[in-house]
Amino acid sequence: MNLMLDLRAVSSAYFTREKVAEHHVKSFNKFVDGGIQKIIDEQGLIETDIEDTNERGAYKVYVKLGKVNLLKPTIKEADGSREKIHPTEARLRNVTYAAPIYLEMTIVEEYPETGEKEEYEMKEIEIGELPIMVLSKCCNLYGLGKEGLIERGEDPLDPGGYFIINGTERVVIALEDLAPNKVFVEFDKRYGDKIEVTKTFSQRRGYRALVIVERGHHGILEVSFPSVSGRLNFITMVRALGLETDQEIIEAVSSDLEIQKFILENIEEAEVETTEESMDKIGKRVAAGQAKDYQHKRANYVIDRYLLPHIGNDEDSRLAKAYFLCGMAEACYELALGQRGEDDKDHYSNKRIKLAGDLMEDLFRVSFNRLTRDIKYQLERAHMRNRELNVSTAIRADVLSDRIMHPLATGNWVGGRTGVSQLLDRTDYMATLSHLRRIISPLSRAQPHFEARDLHPTQWGRICPCETPEGPNCGLVKNFAQLVEISSGIGDVDEFKVLLCNLGIERLGGDRSA
Amino acid sequence: MTSLKRIGRIKFGLLAPKEIRRMSVVKVITADTYDDDGFPIDMGLMDQRLGVIDPGLRCKTCGNRPGACPGHMGHIELAAPVVHVGYTKLIKKILLSICKGENCGRVKLTEKEKKEFLNRMEEFRENDRPITPIVEEMFKTSAKVMECPHCGEEQIEIKFEKPTSYYEGDHKLMPAEIRKRFEKIPDEDIPLFGMDVNVARPEWMMLRVLPVPPVTARPSITLESGQRSEDDLTHKLVDILRINQRFQENREAGAPQLIIEDLLELLQYHVTTFFDNAVSGVPSARHRSGRPLKTLSQRLKGKEGRFRGSLSGKRVNFSARTVISPEPNLSINEVGVPKAIAEELTLPVVVTERNIEEMRECVRRGPKHPGANYLRRIDGRRIKITEQNAEEVAETIEYGCRVDRHLKDGDIVLFNRQPSLHRMSIMAHRVKVMPHRTFRINPAVCPPYNADFDGDEMNLHVCQTEEARAEALLLMDVQRNILSPRFGGPIIGGIHDLITGMYILTRRGKMFDENSALELLRKTDIRKLPEPAELIDGVPYWNGKQIFSQILPPGLNLTFNAKICYNCDKCRGVDCERDAYVVIRDSQLLHGVMDEAAVGAFKGKVLDRVVKEYPNETARKFIDDMSHLAIRSIMSEGFSFGIDDEDIPKDAKIQIDEAVELANQKIHKLVDAYENDELEPLPGRSLDETLEMKIMQELGRARDETGRTAERFMGKDNSAVVMAVSGARGSMLNLTQMAACVGQQSVRGERIHRGYIGRTLPHFRRNDLGADAHGFVASSYKTGLNPTEFFFHAIGGREGLVDTAVRTSKSGYFQRRMINALQDLEVKYDGTVRETHGGLVQFMYGEDGVDPSKSDYGKAVNVKRIVEAVVGDEKGAGRV
Repeated sequence: MNLMLDLRAVSSAYFTREKVAEHHVKSFNKFVDGGIQKIIDEQGLIETDIEDTNERGAYKVYVKLGKVNLLKPTIKEADGSREKIHPTEARLRNVTYAAPIYLEMTIVEEYPETGEKEEYEMKEIEIGELPIMVLSKCCNLYGLGKEGLIERGEDPLDPGGYFIINGTERVVIALEDLAPNKVFVEFDKRYGDKIEVTKTFSQRRGYRALVIVERGHHGILEVSFPSVSGRLNFITMVRALGLETDQEIIEAVSSDLEIQKFILENIEEAEVETTEESMDKIGKRVAAGQAKDYQHKRANYVIDRYLLPHIGNDEDSRLAKAYFLCGMAEACYELALGQRGEDDKDHYSNKRIKLAGDLMEDLFRVSFNRLTRDIKYQLERAHMRNRELNVSTAIRADVLSDRIMHPLATGNWVGGRTGVSQLLDRTDYMATLSHLRRIISPLSRAQPHFEARDLHPTQWGRICPCETPEGPNCGLVKNFAQLVEISSGIGDVDEFKVLLCNLGIERLGGDRSA
Repeated sequence: MTSLKRIGRIKFGLLAPKEIRRMSVVKVITADTYDDDGFPIDMGLMDQRLGVIDPGLRCKTCGNRPGACPGHMGHIELAAPVVHVGYTKLIKKILLSICKGENCGRVKLTEKEKKEFLNRMEEFRENDRPITPIVEEMFKTSAKVMECPHCGEEQIEIKFEKPTSYYEGDHKLMPAEIRKRFEKIPDEDIPLFGMDVNVARPEWMMLRVLPVPPVTARPSITLESGQRSEDDLTHKLVDILRINQRFQENREAGAPQLIIEDLLELLQYHVTTFFDNAVSGVPSARHRSGRPLKTLSQRLKGKEGRFRGSLSGKRVNFSARTVISPEPNLSINEVGVPKAIAEELTLPVVVTERNIEEMRECVRRGPKHPGANYLRRIDGRRIKITEQNAEEVAETIEYGCRVDRHLKDGDIVLFNRQPSLHRMSIMAHRVKVMPHRTFRINPAVCPPYNADFDGDEMNLHVCQTEEARAEALLLMDVQRNILSPRFGGPIIGGIHDLITGMYILTRRGKMFDENSALELLRKTDIRKLPEPAELIDGVPYWNGKQIFSQILPPGLNLTFNAKICYNCDKCRGVDCERDAYVVIRDSQLLHGVMDEAAVGAFKGKVLDRVVKEYPNETARKFIDDMSHLAIRSIMSEGFSFGIDDEDIPKDAKIQIDEAVELANQKIHKLVDAYENDELEPLPGRSLDETLEMKIMQELGRARDETGRTAERFMGKDNSAVVMAVSGARGSMLNLTQMAACVGQQSVRGERIHRGYIGRTLPHFRRNDLGADAHGFVASSYKTGLNPTEFFFHAIGGREGLVDTAVRTSKSGYFQRRMINALQDLEVKYDGTVRETHGGLVQFMYGEDGVDPSKSDYGKAVNVKRIVEAVVGDEKGAGRV
């Protein structure tokens, strides 16, 4: 075994590249490269309530959004001029190191009678400013050599990876979270009984929904998900989702005979026989005491929006959701039969790290939504006063900027999380490095959570076994190991799905199913 | 001084509207506070009759200036009665228990029932028992009656909806209606609610008049911008006044019922939040910035509230805080105070015939150390003494002046370290002014404070009066607290180097010539040496035991086993090869060594005996001398510990490796047996558990074995061994881990099992049950751990870290709960433990009547000692 490499050589080689805060920089670059455009494409267009008639007939107005363009960091001086700014200057002058965002937009008038569209030319308009991570792709220091950095007043050894907000350096701390869209089985206690529970945190664009399938009393499966109080019968749920016959359900759950027996038990106890009946039943639960019509509408809405949203939020994905639920049911029974053990929530394969880019994405999405609402309001108001509609005047740049700046400056992120951005610790160089590589678990520090605080063997090579604070945060605040590599998730790729389909896999519908 | 009076009893009642109006100096009607010139508006919330806070103004009620004026209550006449949130539940109960009848309003009980309840209440009161249960029962019985026994009126069910609404069937009861009903309750029925008619009428729970707290209770502050910022209470009162006014206007203008009701609701909301801004079901009233307002109840409640924050505990003057550091040359009842602190902390001294010259000198020195900071002349003027005016002021000194003189040597101060968990956390020390910036204490007093010197800070309080000093000296003096009331042994005593020093000194074979012997005893007041133990070449030599004996108080006889004792099957007594059999005869240490069992805090037997049988002063002197002697001893000998002290010879290493290898083989066998189903499960355990237990046992044995090997090879003069054996610091286990084998790492008492599927780390095969794969660290700290071992060690270490973190936060809370539960218990003169009402908790304190601080480690008497004292050691012989 003396073939061992001198690991010091490896790690020093590792650190000669800008590795210390690379995870933040990479993540931010990804956000800048694709994340912003993705959020804007999600929005697509801004609809307004403006309806009017002119000489060409009745028309509706909406705003079409195009390509986004992020410039390099600049500063708006008091005289209105824009000047390039470097981090040092931002720090010294107590200003924000941010770059203007330009977005192509145009107003479209649609005449539904004729189907005609009057579209103006796309105009690039500044919609606000985005704080730029130091040494990221958009940073004015990007690509400068040692001399270049020194010339611009920068420490060539500074790892970057933080923002400068009003002159203070702010790190967006990496958050460790339980992996979304993954199935976890565990035992739980309900009124003294030990029951098997399958949980999934389904996540779609920042919206998280916890879906639970559990084996309640008498071994009957029950499902619970947000917006429905209490629990719904499992068979009712899958029937509502389109798995109607007994056979379909059994086959969807498992090919294991033992488990099929349990499913039969469930089917015998089923409250409903058909999809329609199921929908009635669910309607009664979600909108009790309302008109039948409304109940139906509400049931459909709830199933599409709140049940397993990561699979999709339209009718097409229902079957896929049914199969997913069946999978969860199978896991539940496997646990009950001892075919599998409880899932280890602290296993690092069940964790995901939210880095600066992901968090900025959350922030930008919310802020941009606010901007679109403001644009809509401004346009409607302009129309009411019979002014000519103009996107550039409808945009108040501060709406977006303030919404982004404030959470970064205070650490109060969207969704009520606090302490997300922190003042970069400059006590010494080591403190800075450690701070940039910090990971925080959102678990409450008030409760013991012994297991979550333990050093888990799967953290080997990923998280430093030694560096954690003493005291209430012990084991919840961690630091990356020296040689950690962070891979980033890949969204649904159509090519991959096509490939799978060509291999004989059937499509069930939904964005995520194959 | 006026004569002292005792409070006999306190009676609580409700504030009657009449009473509120009577004590009010102004009826507030305007919602505004100040006019444009910044002058308080008449009949506004800042009316000058309510008291003054602005300098230069005089109170229009009492004529005093700010500071002297206590403030005066005002009142607001509410346009309609509202419910007082504090009484909502009582209102509900009373509503349920009285008749709704137009002309009735009596409690729905027959005369006979009523009489019975009243009689029982009377009986309970006479016996000093709380009447609450009877009142509750009364409410329950009367609520059930659905037809009034007096007028026969049919009752409708009344529901209370949080926070302040009452419904009778579907009809909402307005506070005014409730008030009307309550007014009809005849006086003779009111005692049934547990109320006294003279001080409380139920209708007073519906407020018609709102008392306005004086301005002094809600001062406004002026920001540097010149803007006024009002207190939260004032804001709330403004809200109340506005809505009250609007409500009145609307009602007079004949606005629709709906609007009136809405306004009433709003008024109710404001009055509710004025009292309590954290009522469940009521959205908290907020400041413009979104900060919830701090209203009356918030001022009182919680840790920072008036009770816990301002009355039970508050900030004090004449106190100091700094880092502590050790100084073994100090007495245990001294504390080294930095000069800078001594110059700041003062003691008031009244100038008399006997001290006038001394005080004059103090004043003359002014702010330089043994000086004074202030002089209070007979006319009450206080003069700050500065370098410039010192001479001048010193001349003016006369009898009766009060000089605030600096702290000087010998002053009595209280010394405290948080958390103050027991009474020895605050003790009285004598000041010793010293250079530098830290408090210095004798390390022997660390145990009661639970202090160490890794940056701990402590507080010091200067007793300001003669009474305080006397009391501190009599109760809190360090030497009076050597014995802990927790276990009846000394809590002050040798620790760490003190024990090592004593051990080194009293070991066999230590010889000192006259010079070095006297050098060791230099800090004690012993100047004469006994007959020398030996004469070598005509030069007298003394052994360490003799030198130690010099500090023992006279007449001490003691026999016991030292800490280093191996507990051999057959004790060889005075011939013990390790010198572990201690014999002290007539204060001469004849055999044995002084180690933790002799002079250590908690366990020291010599210490224990000295403290219990001699005056406190002697005990103090003994501990002082001991620390002086021990420190000198360890310094003259020299004592250090380095990495090479963990060195063990090659042979030892081989033996250790063999032991580990042997354990590994045994585990293999166990695992094989397990896999072949040949393992016998232990009773009450599953097969898996049995295997785990046996493996753990085997590994534990292996580590102990290696430890023994290491110990054998290290020798008894190794400083680590000396420390471990004498009980000064560390244990043999620590040594084993350093030199031989760290041993099994565990998480919650088990080997490490979590990790990847079927294995802990990818370095091992799946389903490997061996020692290495589950956290056995075969290396020692000295040789270094391999990567997997290191990681497992980190896992084990993390558990300890988490444990300490969780424990500390819990223990504070637990202490608080214990105090709250036990604070009123008292040992009465008859030996019983009783609570405040005189209820018995224990027939005899501790069920044996023993005061642990006067006991012998919890036992009432040490029989052996008495036998020994009476019969003499030759026959009584027993060891303590």
